[in-house]
Amino acid sequence: MISILYLILLPLVFGLLISLLNKKWSSGIALAGAGSTLFFFIFFLSQFDSSKKIENEFSMPWIPGINVDLHFGLDSLGLFMILLSTLVVPVGILASIKYSNYRRKSYYVLMMTGLSALIGFFSAQNDLTFYVFFELALLPFYFMVLMYGGADRNRALFKFFIYTVFGSFLMLAAIIYLRSLATIGIPSDWSMLYDIELSLKSQTWILAGLFIAFAIKSPLFPFHTWQADLYSEGDRPAIIIIAAVLSKMGVFGLLRFFNVVEDAIHQYQTPLIVLCIIGILYAALIAWRQSSMTRLLAYSSLSHMGMIAAGIFTASLSGLQGSLFQMLSHGLVAAGLFMVVDSIMFRTNSSSIYGSSGIASSQPRLATYFFVLCLGAVGLPLTSGFIGEFDILLGLTGVKLIFALLAGLSIILGAIYTFRFYQKSMFGEANSTNSNWSPITLNEEYALIILSILVIALGFFPASWLDLADQAVSSFVQIKSKLQ
Amino acid sequence: MLSIVILTFFATLVLFLGFSKNRDLILPVSVIGVALAMLCYMTQQTLWDEWFMNMMDVKGASRIFSIVILAIACCILPFINEFRRRGSEEMADFSGLLIYSLIGGIMMVSYKDFMVLFLGIEILSIAMYILAGADRRRASSSEASLKYFILGAFASAILLFGIALYYACTSSFRLDAEILQNSLLLNLSYLLIFAGLAFKIALVPFHFWAPDVYQGTPTIFTATMATIVKVSGFGALYQFISSCGIHMSEWLYWLISLVALASIVVANIMALQQQSVKRMLAYSGIAQAGFILIGFLNLQAENTWPIIFYLIAYAAASLVCFLAVHFVEEISFNDNHSAFKGLYYNNPFLAIVMSIALISLGGGPLTAGFMAKLFVLNNAAHVGNIALVIFALIFAVLSLYYYFRLINQMFSYSKDIKTWRIEYPYAGILAALCIGTIIAGIAPNLLVNLIK
Repeated sequence: MISILYLILLPLVFGLLISLLNKKWSSGIALAGAGSTLFFFIFFLSQFDSSKKIENEFSMPWIPGINVDLHFGLDSLGLFMILLSTLVVPVGILASIKYSNYRRKSYYVLMMTGLSALIGFFSAQNDLTFYVFFELALLPFYFMVLMYGGADRNRALFKFFIYTVFGSFLMLAAIIYLRSLATIGIPSDWSMLYDIELSLKSQTWILAGLFIAFAIKSPLFPFHTWQADLYSEGDRPAIIIIAAVLSKMGVFGLLRFFNVVEDAIHQYQTPLIVLCIIGILYAALIAWRQSSMTRLLAYSSLSHMGMIAAGIFTASLSGLQGSLFQMLSHGLVAAGLFMVVDSIMFRTNSSSIYGSSGIASSQPRLATYFFVLCLGAVGLPLTSGFIGEFDILLGLTGVKLIFALLAGLSIILGAIYTFRFYQKSMFGEANSTNSNWSPITLNEEYALIILSILVIALGFFPASWLDLADQAVSSFVQIKSKLQ
Repeated sequence: MLSIVILTFFATLVLFLGFSKNRDLILPVSVIGVALAMLCYMTQQTLWDEWFMNMMDVKGASRIFSIVILAIACCILPFINEFRRRGSEEMADFSGLLIYSLIGGIMMVSYKDFMVLFLGIEILSIAMYILAGADRRRASSSEASLKYFILGAFASAILLFGIALYYACTSSFRLDAEILQNSLLLNLSYLLIFAGLAFKIALVPFHFWAPDVYQGTPTIFTATMATIVKVSGFGALYQFISSCGIHMSEWLYWLISLVALASIVVANIMALQQQSVKRMLAYSGIAQAGFILIGFLNLQAENTWPIIFYLIAYAAASLVCFLAVHFVEEISFNDNHSAFKGLYYNNPFLAIVMSIALISLGGGPLTAGFMAKLFVLNNAAHVGNIALVIFALIFAVLSLYYYFRLINQMFSYSKDIKTWRIEYPYAGILAALCIGTIIAGIAPNLLVNLIK
């Protein structure tokens, strides 16, 4: 069995290569690095035996005194998100190639470091490894935005940074507290952490710390105020990855710690879901009235993340399963939509949704990919977005019908703001500057084709992935039923 | 004991080398002297250990404290060559004084008798008073020296008063003197000794000298002050609390918690708005000292390694920061935040090492600083002081604000690009410290085993 450590180290090796070789090669090497990581991961995937809990494990003694191991491994929960990271980072690199004349080598080194930190985070098999990589994954993207972001980036980035770091320290406090409550032995992996018996009171405190940390990272209402600023001021290839993958780190954390704080989630289910639903509708309504593409996508992202979180808080099989599937699906869709926005903004230099009106006639291929991605975002049947949202709504119905109805409203609102966005930016009267656009490059087209195909393919053939998602989350719900 | 003899010999030798016109020998001789002294500790040499009637103990923790002090000195000594580049003639004096100060530091960390502690503090401090005023062309340097001297003398007086009261109660200067009766006077003497040491370490409320003195002192000696003096101070505090702590168990716990909390809170808030990077680092050093003090809450023989780990992590990171500030000052003649703007585009190496050091100071992931914070906070959680853990964490977040404000400056683009290089030996020392910081963050076991 090949240890997962090699998958984590592979991008770093390419990063080293980039820093040693000439600058003109760096984007090529980065793409090769991300691509080979993807293929290496697909090899892991083909070997993956879902009947076992953790595969390709790596562990080494790490922190003395507390006796924590550095512990990585592949399990069906992390599998989804590692697949998403290895798919989206190449997309980010493809998007960045058109800027590569303005980028230093360090940009691609950071990109590779980011990929490896993300894989490390999603494959972490104990809480402190999880925590360290949660923080570590932030740094490369922080520096990317810092060095290459828009004019007002410092303020936006700082808001993001302070928010996230505040959240992650709360998480550290929660972890230290959780560990101090472990009576039998020292927990070395997730299953041992799940076994720690906690009173409802201590679970509530831990949930409070973790919820704020993850709600900031995702973000969820009302901890989202950093999001729109960062998305519109950041370096766009980096934002593709932040919107698609880093935003999933929060809800992924909720899934990881689900069993630790399960009773508390059941206890506070109603307020938590209500908070999510407020976020879903609030963000959808704001997205409707946005005239900036990046802000619109930011609020649409907020709305979808609220839906995913609501699915987790239903604590039902279909809700959890739908959330996990929707994390993958929304990651692909968000990456695609930001890619389209990046292509448009590269040419118009304006983030207004009216800035590119009428390009559907001169850029039919771009308009087509964009349309497929919009369908995925709306959650039309036979696209990947439908399956996840359907499962989540099913789970919400099991809690209270009114929740499902209110959350279901967001599908209508989603269709309104997404198609308004599509209509204003693609159709309408073409102005003179937009008719003589440079056509989209092969690099952009590759990324868009792959993402569009994936969105449709996951919509047509979700079965094997749903099975995997089922396996990943069924253990959570089973443990609960045993307790009762 | 042998190491002190070696250091005295070499320091005097270096002073005499200053008479010759050729100054190339000074650096190798001083480094060899310090390295030989370190070797004595490494090989656990016991020659002449019984001198001075066992007033010093060079085993156990004090041995490790001494090694840390000597290792820091090995990193700083080469930078004294920088004064020579500026055409200063006193290089031999500075090297000699730095080595003399090490003797004081070693006496402070290995005393068994309060007389040795006092001698050590005075030897260390007098050398530092002079070094603070090393840059005679700048008035601020002399001002720093005078300020440090007056306040330092005051603190020494407080310490001496404490020692005198101790003698009055026990008729002995020894740490392990028989305590006949736990009187108020004795507790007062402990409190005064603690205050005297807290001054040297710069803990709140005895910290007021630190920002002013750090700012005025030539940066290379600020680095010395922030590392060697602090490590010696903590070594002395360690000796003091590990032997006298049992007699004051009731209030010691609260005293340490309170002083640690006050240091973390006050220093982090003060650091937020500093425009001078050296002042900011001074406040950051005070906050870090507060964190280290948390490690003293649960002081048993098997629990000393978190303190030493933290000291090493802190010393490595702040050495890199101060030395980097030194190079920036050389170019832009001030240490304001704005002087760091665009540093990454002027000298990427310096910006990267300084960022790593700042991230380590802030407790960023996979650096020695993170592990160090985790160890001491875990220590506090074990004693059940959860409130302290939470406050410390909140203010650790706050501290990231000013560390990353500086990193933001270094990586934001600036129009005036002055590309310059730093020489390889200096770059090598900085890089080695940074790589060590990261290795200690990924595999802290290696360092912890060394300490143990």
